[in-house]
Amino acid sequence: MGNLNTTMIEKYRNSFLHEVEANVEEGEWVKMCMQCGVCSGSCPLGPHWDHPPQELFMMIRAGKREEVLTSSSMWMCTSCYNCIVRCPRELPITHIMHGLAHYAKRLGLVPENQQTEKFAQLFWDNLTNTGRVNELKLGLKLYFMNGFGEGIKMSLKMQDVGLNMLKTGRMSPFELLGGHSIKDKTGFHAMLQKAKELEDAKIAKHGA
Amino acid sequence: MADTKIGAYICKGCGLGERLDTDKLESIASGEGKAAICRQEEFLCQQSTVDKIQADIDNEGINRVVIGACSRRAKFEAFNFESTCVSRVNLREGVIWVRPDTEEAKEATQEMAEDYIRMGCTEVKFMSPPSASQEQSVNKHLLVVGGGITGMTSAIEASKAGYQVSIIEKTSQLGGVAGQLHRKVPSRMPYASPQDNGIDDLNNQISANSNITVYLNSTTTKTSGAPGRFSVDITTESGSTTTENFGAIIQASGFTPYDANKLPEFAYGKTPDVVDQLGLEKLAQEANGTPIKRPSDGKVVENVMFIQCAGQRSDKEDHLSYCSGHCCSTSIKQAMYFKESNPNCDAAVLYTDLRTPGAGGEDFYRSAQRKGVTFTKGIAKEVVAGDNQHTIKFTDLILNDEVDLAVDMVVLATGMLPNSGVNIDAPPAEEGSVEIPVESILNLDYRQGKDMPQLVHGFTDSHFICFPYETRRTGIYTAGPVRRPMDINQAIDDATGAAMKAIQAIENSALGKAAHPRSGDLSFPSFRMEGCTQCKRCTVECPFGAINEDEKGYPSYNESRCRRCGTCMGACPVRVISFENYSVDSVGQQIKAVNVPIPDEDDENAVAKPRILTLACENDAYPALDMAGMNRIQHSAYVRIIPVRCLGSVNTIWVTDALNSGYDGVVLLGCQKGENYQCHFVKGSEIAHYRMSKVNDTLTTLNLEKERVATYEVAITDIQRIPQLIDDMAKTIEDIGTSPLKF
Amino acid sequence: MTDTIATNESILVIGGGISGMTAALEAAECGKQVILVEKTPSLGGRVSQLYKYFPKLCHPTCGMEINSRRIKANKNLRVITMAEVDEITGNAGNYNVSITKQPRYINDNCTACGECANAVEAKFDNEHNYNMDKRKGAYLPFNMAYPQRYVLDSGIIGTDDADKAKAACRYDAVDLDMQKETVQLNVGAVIWATGWQPFDAANIQPYGYDRYDNVITSVEFERMMDDFGPTGGKILRPSDNKEAKNIAFIQCAGSRDRNYLKHCSRICCMASLKQTTYVREQYADDGKATIYYIDIRAIDRFEDFYAKVQADTNVSFIKSKVASITEERGTGNPVLHGVNTEGYDRYDNAHDLVVLAVGMQPSVDREKFPVEVITNEHGFIERPEGSTGMFAAGCASDALDVNRAVQNATASALRAIQVVNRFSKTEV
Repeated sequence: MGNLNTTMIEKYRNSFLHEVEANVEEGEWVKMCMQCGVCSGSCPLGPHWDHPPQELFMMIRAGKREEVLTSSSMWMCTSCYNCIVRCPRELPITHIMHGLAHYAKRLGLVPENQQTEKFAQLFWDNLTNTGRVNELKLGLKLYFMNGFGEGIKMSLKMQDVGLNMLKTGRMSPFELLGGHSIKDKTGFHAMLQKAKELEDAKIAKHGA
Repeated sequence: MADTKIGAYICKGCGLGERLDTDKLESIASGEGKAAICRQEEFLCQQSTVDKIQADIDNEGINRVVIGACSRRAKFEAFNFESTCVSRVNLREGVIWVRPDTEEAKEATQEMAEDYIRMGCTEVKFMSPPSASQEQSVNKHLLVVGGGITGMTSAIEASKAGYQVSIIEKTSQLGGVAGQLHRKVPSRMPYASPQDNGIDDLNNQISANSNITVYLNSTTTKTSGAPGRFSVDITTESGSTTTENFGAIIQASGFTPYDANKLPEFAYGKTPDVVDQLGLEKLAQEANGTPIKRPSDGKVVENVMFIQCAGQRSDKEDHLSYCSGHCCSTSIKQAMYFKESNPNCDAAVLYTDLRTPGAGGEDFYRSAQRKGVTFTKGIAKEVVAGDNQHTIKFTDLILNDEVDLAVDMVVLATGMLPNSGVNIDAPPAEEGSVEIPVESILNLDYRQGKDMPQLVHGFTDSHFICFPYETRRTGIYTAGPVRRPMDINQAIDDATGAAMKAIQAIENSALGKAAHPRSGDLSFPSFRMEGCTQCKRCTVECPFGAINEDEKGYPSYNESRCRRCGTCMGACPVRVISFENYSVDSVGQQIKAVNVPIPDEDDENAVAKPRILTLACENDAYPALDMAGMNRIQHSAYVRIIPVRCLGSVNTIWVTDALNSGYDGVVLLGCQKGENYQCHFVKGSEIAHYRMSKVNDTLTTLNLEKERVATYEVAITDIQRIPQLIDDMAKTIEDIGTSPLKF
Repeated sequence: MTDTIATNESILVIGGGISGMTAALEAAECGKQVILVEKTPSLGGRVSQLYKYFPKLCHPTCGMEINSRRIKANKNLRVITMAEVDEITGNAGNYNVSITKQPRYINDNCTACGECANAVEAKFDNEHNYNMDKRKGAYLPFNMAYPQRYVLDSGIIGTDDADKAKAACRYDAVDLDMQKETVQLNVGAVIWATGWQPFDAANIQPYGYDRYDNVITSVEFERMMDDFGPTGGKILRPSDNKEAKNIAFIQCAGSRDRNYLKHCSRICCMASLKQTTYVREQYADDGKATIYYIDIRAIDRFEDFYAKVQADTNVSFIKSKVASITEERGTGNPVLHGVNTEGYDRYDNAHDLVVLAVGMQPSVDREKFPVEVITNEHGFIERPEGSTGMFAAGCASDALDVNRAVQNATASALRAIQVVNRFSKTEV
């Protein structure tokens, strides 16, 4: 799975670039960046990025594997697609950001307490459980994601919204009791398992 | 002058009839002007009236025509009578359009018009229609010096138009640097991959072409003559010399790669694994499609870095300050050699500005990225040669990092140095210093020096954006990287363009016609030998090296080298040089024809009517004055303006004569001089400024104030400024008083 | 000029900008018969709309003067203005060309006295100044216009203005009945010198060229420097006519961008570097310029010019493709947002005026040539191959600066001469 202690010798070598190309969704586009920075400038969350997209691309080319994969930057992407629209070189930047995040997650390199990552995991777990998203459970899990105290605070803050949703029938309290699921839950889980095997095999093959 | 018969035609159109007393103008033309036929016309430029003038020429023996109407720049085609001298008296743009239409202005405006009529009639008296000297006949044989891709292309393109060509090549084969390339940057879509260097194809075309002769291992040891009759000594390595005649010459002497040994900081010379771009071409050729191996140990190169701008774009001593233009594309191409023969090889380009301009350039850049070539914006500081790997120390400007990178090989993108031969403008070497002899390329037998004048950094480019082939040695054109740093694609265009100009020089010199910018001009300077003092000023000052000296030191003109600017005429202290239609007299007598009013000393209320002479460069100052007229920007009515071919043609006698005749001021208007000179005759403006600084002595002798003579550099856009400069002189005269020399 | 005589020994040059003028003149001065066709009423093209050239900072009108003088004096060359080529058939050495001439409504009698312009009243957008001001319905396109002959805007035909113009002309030069006409030519070779047009900056939505007054294009900026231009030679902000002293130049406005023009337009870096000197020329030490760029492409000896501008402490460089422009409330100042990629700095910079260095787009859409012409994906005509009799000159062939365009046009003249020499009986 590759040595995280990237040695000096690997710097500015293309091994990490190749790794990204092989394992990250749309990773083969990274080399096409010409460092104009329009993606970084167009991003509505721009100021929150430690390393904006174009810089991440340069870091990938520079072989800064650990810095890139442990960065919180790509987790900032909210999929607004501004960067893709503006990129003069046609890079699917949004997808690359998600691809990088996903890859970092698979390698277990996500920075601790990464909020987006936590939510993504909650969402995934919630969804894969029954094959359908249970909004009530997801909402509550999200509120209590950062501990009990925070959760209470958040719930109180959001109570009006919740009550209104209940009133208008947009959320059912019975969802808390398990909720509805898809018909062939077993088949669904088998499918996910197979997909995971395929992904793991791919990483094992191309991994650094 | 007995055979001159003047026809003077005065137009009453465009308001001239209302604003001016044209009857008076007519009587001046026929009286003082001695015009045999004189007519006023309501609408002079209409075809039927022009036909009437032509009829006067054909039937009445009119051979000098004075057109009192608009500027010489307007309606040119209407009044362009074949083999007849025409003087255009500028009454419209030059008089009524620059004067207010008021009662009080009327008298001075009329005096202006009258003087201009006098001047026009005088000018034609001192003109005769120019005819070619037939000094040379047509010689459709072109010489190309240099057998690289530029020279080969020039030769092929000229021969395709039906001309004979000889190529002189110093080495034992054609092809030059391009022939040493494994492949070249693409010149056709899709601009994605390196292409064949094309030299084999050119070689085949040349050997199959009976109109092209090739002299290998040869140099030009002497070039004399002129367009249409160049005589060139071609000497082989073994020393045998043949002399051939040519109509025109193309110098395609190419470039020498910058000596990378001057870059020890990049370990060039310390390890064979650091090469320059040409060195890499050799390795690529040897590899011939297999993975490139590094020279030190034959190991297949796994990672390579290209250092752009090595020894270029730098103000360090011994570095080149300019950019060589091709090196970004060349490195991209070479990085592709690595990627295409070994996809696992890391090929990175270290650059500060990636310069791949134009449509194909950007495509090529993208293509390299697609192929996996990586690009890093950064500055290389050092290359440390190692036993196994070499370390490049550089600053990554994007990540703001100092980096040590270990690589197998380093390619230095170094620059081009032009093979220009001798720098004829170089200051003489200081005494005691060791001079490194430079081999001349053309060995010109010209007084001005052995080789083509250089523009900047040793390149022999033209000074003009609009005219890349405005050569300073008529009939000799430089092409390719000797003219300017350039890539192969541009060199091919340049070779073809230069061939075009060379062919043109051949055709026009045979007809006695001048080359650009006075293209087609048949007038030509001649000198009165009995008056000549052999002072050599004309030969020295000729900006085109057109004048030789014979054994006795008399000037010997080469018509087809001459660009007809008149600098020699301006230079001649004894005024023996003249053109048929432009001479010391054709201008000098105009100056004298002006009516300089003598103040009535008894009348205390008399208004002073000073006279200002303005000599205006016909390319910039005169058109600007015209446009001032078109925009009704007024200037003093006391000025009399004469257009001159170039300020360099102004003979100081005109100025001193004017002052002696009672003119109160003289204004000279030329173009920008100095490093970025704008004068199409090179130094006209500069020489005029220098000559006028000497006029001060004359002024002192005449007891006149220095302020009475002013010389300016102006531009064609100075439409508002030039009338102001004239008015400034009028103001100066008002302040210091009129000239005491009126009698 | 309807009596144009042409034979298959003639060369047709399409487009009367500096490349077309050069190609036509070089061939004509070599003794060839040349017909030069221009779409607009005067020759000169884009160059006539420039204030100065880089890197010499000399005035293009100087060269225009020489070229017009060469044209006037050359009897081998015929100029047809307001004309476009509709159809070309045939092969190298023998092309039949059909040309449509639009009516100028002013004939050869015109003396350029200007009385018609004095007489008319209606005003129209002034295309010479990129519509930044208005001109009259009877006009001389610009001071240096060649042919030096007025034009009636077709918009005044049928109005009182047309009659006024006719009444004002004492030389019978106004011909209101002039009709569109077709001219047929037979020529041996054709040179496409159809040039370029500035990329339409309104397409670059985030820069707000269509919304913000103080965002202009580089070609418009050139017109501001002309004493006879829309601002009388002053650099002024369109919103309030205040002096614009702190100016941003945005490079690659439309170029090197798959959303607009994929190619690099070559001239824009040097053009902006040149335009920083305009700011300094006008406002001395108060003048400030900032260039936002991806790569400064100042190749060959242009590097000297770049170095000179870099040494100017009032000019700064930011490596960044500007992301967006907003307008500051109250001041009307454009604010540029983006990231300097050299070291990652975010900026929100307010300037007095923004100049977009717009790209070079071929004038003729690649689909719209009246005959098959091989173009690359960017619409530029490819280098000649095989036995064609049609060649590109200047910016029809690539994004080129003036010097390279003229060099290319000179080469094209020879390529055309080769064809007519091959097909004519000329003994050489």
